[in-house]
Amino acid sequence: MSQVQCLPVANKNMSKVKKVLEEARDLQIKELDLVDKNVHSFDELPNIFNMIFVTRITLSHNKISVLPPAIANLNNLEILNLSNNHLEELPLSLSSMPKLRILNCSINRLNTLPRGFGAFPVLEVLDLSYNNLSERELPGNFFKLETLRALYLGDNDFEYLPPEIKNLKNLQILGLRDNDLLELPREIGELSRLRELHIQNNRLTVIPPEIANLDLYSNKSVFKMEENPWVQPIIEQYLLGITHVLEYIKTEAYRILYNRHVTGGGKSAVPIPPRADKSKKASRARS
Amino acid sequence: MPPITQVPANMSLETMSCTRCDEGFEPQEKIVNSNGQLWHIQCFVCAQCFRTFQDGIFYEFEGRKYCEKDFRVLFAPYCNKCGDIVIGRVIKAMQASWHPDCFRCQLCAKELADSGFIKNNNRALCHGCNASIKASEIGKYSCHKCHGLIDGAPLRFRGEVYHGYHFNCTSCGIELDSTAREIKSRTGFAANDMNELYCLKCHDRMGVPICGACRRPIEERVVTALGKHWHVEHFVCAKCEKPFLGHRHYEKRGLAYCETHYHQLFGNLCFVCNQVIGGDVFTALNKAWCVHHFSCDMCNQNLDLKSKFYEYDEKPVCKKCYEKMPSELRKRLRIAHENTMRKNP
Repeated sequence: MSQVQCLPVANKNMSKVKKVLEEARDLQIKELDLVDKNVHSFDELPNIFNMIFVTRITLSHNKISVLPPAIANLNNLEILNLSNNHLEELPLSLSSMPKLRILNCSINRLNTLPRGFGAFPVLEVLDLSYNNLSERELPGNFFKLETLRALYLGDNDFEYLPPEIKNLKNLQILGLRDNDLLELPREIGELSRLRELHIQNNRLTVIPPEIANLDLYSNKSVFKMEENPWVQPIIEQYLLGITHVLEYIKTEAYRILYNRHVTGGGKSAVPIPPRADKSKKASRARS
Repeated sequence: MPPITQVPANMSLETMSCTRCDEGFEPQEKIVNSNGQLWHIQCFVCAQCFRTFQDGIFYEFEGRKYCEKDFRVLFAPYCNKCGDIVIGRVIKAMQASWHPDCFRCQLCAKELADSGFIKNNNRALCHGCNASIKASEIGKYSCHKCHGLIDGAPLRFRGEVYHGYHFNCTSCGIELDSTAREIKSRTGFAANDMNELYCLKCHDRMGVPICGACRRPIEERVVTALGKHWHVEHFVCAKCEKPFLGHRHYEKRGLAYCETHYHQLFGNLCFVCNQVIGGDVFTALNKAWCVHHFSCDMCNQNLDLKSKFYEYDEKPVCKKCYEKMPSELRKRLRIAHENTMRKNP
């Protein structure tokens, strides 16, 4: 259709969003930026699911509450950024997208994940931070995400982390900041490529000695552990520095302390610290 | 075949008699003469079947003559190896008979008929094999040349072990010991029959490169890297220990790495595309980015060297996006940041 149509009224009223989409369609632009455009629904993004040439869609800072399953039409999509929206759930079809490498759903209202969510064939980075998720919401195949190199679960409601975490063989970054964690599984020590571990602001008193097997010392590594009710010996080492903690948990003395702590279980002399008050979290808002 | 002759004129018919029947001979009668013994033609027969010898061939055993068939049936030895009758030279050994060609060392199959053998554990062995078995039983080598035991380290040459003193250096002629080096005459060929021996001194003077990994001379392809020489198969990634085999390697602090492990260890895989960073590297927050992939984690807008950004879970977030985060989260991030600053000013 080479004929130019003159529709001045329509053009004038066309929203910025539609302009962006139209231009992208005409020029076959592969990266769609629709940040902070007050989008409430994909209905405001006409024909977006037919733009199969796009490789990245960024929709952060909008008010989208539903992600339609048709998103999976976008066969070439590699990066989907939905951070800071109002999503309460995700469609299962998402996990069948053949090229999706980076999925950012941070700062949403996710209460659940679809069954079979762990089926992404090539997902490398998954950001689910600042939602309402806990270990109970993880689907059975979640730890089949073998291609995952970064998993952000900070600012959620985890109390325990399933030991199957060890199956994420390629994991380099694990974010668990600001959860309700009471303990970590020993299996974290099997994540041989891990070089970033964020566990600050939880309810942890001890860490598995196996964590000392990981390469969390080097200048490329990050180990954040502050704001936990650690046992006294860990606090003392922490004041000297992270490397002191990692050295200390290798010792036989700590191994004994840790085993006593773990077998002591719920009968531990230390009362379980209360969960953090999260009533003010934006993720708790009702749409 | 014994000749059948007319009676010689000088022999008198009366004094001659048949070896078998003792009767005399008629004049003009044909007489068989075999090694000076005389027979009637009809008496010169097989001692078993009394038939004349086919083609005149007979076999003698304890003074009697037999046709081939009966000799085989009655007396011929059978070879213990191939089961065939042994005609001609018979080797009697190990309580059996053998063709000379069938009696061989049970380990190396060398013919033993003329060299003699040694009975070892009910096996017939040549001297060499016997010596090496005995030597290995007491944990030593036996010299391939003299079969004597070798005390200490053997000299290895063309696939065998020897006393060093049987050889001299190809270059200076000095008597060798186990430190001598075997040099391949044609590199790249498996055959070792042209190899030659040199004393260490001459060997080192010949400039044969020494592998930086195994410290042994390199007689085949030489890889030169990191200021050293290497066997192709010994030049390996310092992390995974797989040989590069001509693939590109990366050097860091005197060590060589394969592409994957170099970038895994030294962080030059881009956080966004997870590919090796070709051009300039942008490093921040313990990660690396391609320059064009270094962007705000929330809006994906590119950041440059001058852009201010906030750290959120060790990822960069631009100022605009940070301000759009829930205020409750921002407050907590700020407190956490202040606490860290207080601890590590």
